[in-house]
Amino acid sequence: MELNATLIINQMLFGLALGAVYILMACGLTIIFGLLDVVNFAHGTFYMLGAFAAFVIVSLFGNFWLGLASAVVIVGLIGWITESYLIKPLYGKDPLYPLMLTFGFSVAVTDLMRGVFGTIGRIVPLPQIFTGSLMWEGIFIPKYRVFIIFLTLGVLLFLWFFFKKTSLGMIIRAATRDSLMVRTLGINVPRIWTFGFSLGVGLAALAGGVNSTVQSALPDMGVEMTIECFVVVVIGGLGSLGGAILGGLIIGQVISFVSLLASDWSNVAIFITMLLILLVRTRGLFGEAGRL
Amino acid sequence: MPYLETKDLCKYFGGLKAVDQVNFSVEKGQLKSIIGPNGAGKTTLFNLLCGLYEPTAGKIFFQGEDITRKKMNRTSQLGITKTFQITHIFPRLSVFENVRISAQSRKTSFNFWRKADALEEINEKTRKILRMVQLLDSQDRPASILSHGERKYLEIGIALAADPKLLLLDEPTAGMSPAETVLAMDLIRDLRDQLNLTILLVEHDMNVVMNISDEVFCLNEGRVLACGTPEAISADASVQKVYLGGTKAC
Amino acid sequence: MATKMKTVKVQTSNRVVWITLLIFLVVPYLVPGNIISTALATEIMISGLFALGFNLLLGYTGILSFGHAAYFGLGCYGCGIAIRDFGLSVWGGLCVSLILGVILAAIVGAIAIKKRGVYFAMISMAIAQMFYFMALSPFKRWTGGEDGLKFIPKLSLSFPFAIDLQSPIPLYYFVYFIVGISILAIWRILNSPFGRLLQAIRENEPRTLASGYNVTLAKFISLVFSGLFSSLAGGLFCIYLGYGPLQTLYWLTSGTILLMTILGGMHTFIGPVVGVGVFLYAQNKFSWILERWELVVGILFVALILIFPEGIVGTIKSKYLARRTASQEVEPVEETVSRH
Repeated sequence: MELNATLIINQMLFGLALGAVYILMACGLTIIFGLLDVVNFAHGTFYMLGAFAAFVIVSLFGNFWLGLASAVVIVGLIGWITESYLIKPLYGKDPLYPLMLTFGFSVAVTDLMRGVFGTIGRIVPLPQIFTGSLMWEGIFIPKYRVFIIFLTLGVLLFLWFFFKKTSLGMIIRAATRDSLMVRTLGINVPRIWTFGFSLGVGLAALAGGVNSTVQSALPDMGVEMTIECFVVVVIGGLGSLGGAILGGLIIGQVISFVSLLASDWSNVAIFITMLLILLVRTRGLFGEAGRL
Repeated sequence: MPYLETKDLCKYFGGLKAVDQVNFSVEKGQLKSIIGPNGAGKTTLFNLLCGLYEPTAGKIFFQGEDITRKKMNRTSQLGITKTFQITHIFPRLSVFENVRISAQSRKTSFNFWRKADALEEINEKTRKILRMVQLLDSQDRPASILSHGERKYLEIGIALAADPKLLLLDEPTAGMSPAETVLAMDLIRDLRDQLNLTILLVEHDMNVVMNISDEVFCLNEGRVLACGTPEAISADASVQKVYLGGTKAC
Repeated sequence: MATKMKTVKVQTSNRVVWITLLIFLVVPYLVPGNIISTALATEIMISGLFALGFNLLLGYTGILSFGHAAYFGLGCYGCGIAIRDFGLSVWGGLCVSLILGVILAAIVGAIAIKKRGVYFAMISMAIAQMFYFMALSPFKRWTGGEDGLKFIPKLSLSFPFAIDLQSPIPLYYFVYFIVGISILAIWRILNSPFGRLLQAIRENEPRTLASGYNVTLAKFISLVFSGLFSSLAGGLFCIYLGYGPLQTLYWLTSGTILLMTILGGMHTFIGPVVGVGVFLYAQNKFSWILERWELVVGILFVALILIFPEGIVGTIKSKYLARRTASQEVEPVEETVSRH
């Protein structure tokens, strides 16, 4: 296979689109970790739920946008309930407990979905407006992938705006640094935590919904996605949004190029990447020194 | 030669000068107290001395040796041991084990074969220490059930088990009742007299400071304010101002 | 102030170990096959060893490895490949498992042992998943991919005397021998000065460091021991099955060993083995009837973490301790370690 410039650019663009989804996931995981000190093992499961929610809504109402939005809202609600009743009781204990609990939660929910939906993949039909590709001089990228990239950019902008400019966002940032302090200001910090969790899993659900047209939704895809998310976050440095973005970009490119050049290794490549980066820079690219 | 000495010791956290150009020394066998308002840098100084923090600038000498860059497990082996302000014990382990594991650190710990309970020398040392800090009766209870004052004694016991030459006590009487405080003062004096320890004490309780110290050293905003005998310090105008004059004490 | 108390030891006595060994010695003869088959009992011993190795790290040192399947699977495949492709004997195969376990643990330790708990858990999980995918695709020629490691020749021992490992009873007692020695070794290690050091690290790492211990080295060695015994269990699993399933490397295996350990009680010595026994027995009896077995397991695990995190043996032990020191309650330990 000839490696010429067009091919490389195409793969990079494709990698960008792949990376975008990982960025959404990793940002969600990082927000939850940064705010709650909880590593959400069920993150991929919420991604999976988002994909199925999108599928169900689109099947019922035929509208892709409604499906996407509902996925975020429905799963956000599930997240709200999960945090309030399952995770909250564990605060104050060793942070390994929420990790273990969310693992058990994943196993349960995955099997529940298997029972409801079986093991045949469900795919959401591509909306008319996104069929086809954009082309220029041999470089092409499917329109839908462009949409994913821009959607992610939009979400990142929204997050930036939210955390920097809105009062709720600033409260969350303050609570991330010093929850005791924020509590003394009379703010209901536990409610903030619940919101933060819902926001985080909402991002995962968005990622799932967005991917539902290109990847069949299967109950078992949840845990594998979680593990891949861990890789992204380890590479980028746990606790850093910038790291989540960089990690996602790297992973997207790795998967894209390895799938092209050595498809046998496409699943393994991201883990090897993680190990290589850890060998060179043990706390990940943007990891905070004190945290580790 | 002073037993412990610092030269222009500094610790800056970004723009904050927690410890600023501190020159300070302790003689062997002395009991020296460090006082100062909250935020003066006392605990930071302690953390620098025991190797938990690395200095931004300056030097630390112990028995003539430069220990500036040494980390905590190294300084601990050299004989500098610190207690923690918030008690740092092993909650699920028994009171006996809390002290025993600390005593074990002086000997073999990468021994996989012998029974830990059979190390009689270490057990004997543990019992001696527990007797001294008056916790022998609770030796088999999990440490989590101890009262606050008892935890502070256990904290001291754990520190003693490490065979310290220089003991850094960080607010040992904080939160103790008056009765417990009196017992604590006796204990600390005994440590100096019976065990020949050199002791550095961070304390807020002026009663304790005045009663047991050989020398007192006052810090304010990371800098040395005054140093001298308890009487001299209590008469010192700048010290009085810092405690009564409403500067940055929070 | 604490009043004079009757002394109650907080440590497990070694009677527990001898009783366990005795029980496993007589199970094939005293328990009818339709309640617990010899095969099931063999599996319980093997997974029990896996769990004990795992708990050395989790319950005693306080480190969660979420990818311990890597050791189990590597031990399994290593043993199988050594026997099938390199002509080694059963003993040779098990030695290979052991060595591979030590090497992998050393590598993982070198990369990640200094990391904070959740970070280590994530990295260990990623490494296990890497091995899973490696066995699945790029190394399919050696590992058999999805089908697992097959075509291992009929297993038998010739040294020190001939044992036919194809029949259940000789196989059982061979496994019993290896597992038994391992249990005694682990017991010895955990009761040594080193074992006590691990517990101190679990209870309060900064304090242990302040006492002058080389905590990083201790954690590293703990991981190596853990990997060693878990891999050995994997090798035994291969011998027991006569083949090497890909499942041994899958994340569910890592999760299940965690679940069984917590179920039995991670802060006790024999808890993990009890957890394995209860879980495998239940799985054997109920997973056929219950279509949604994993759903039940997941829910039970969540309930376990929320309500009985000390597991079966742990909860029994604290109730027993509470009754023996009746006048003073043993406070549940709730050391606040996070920002909440």
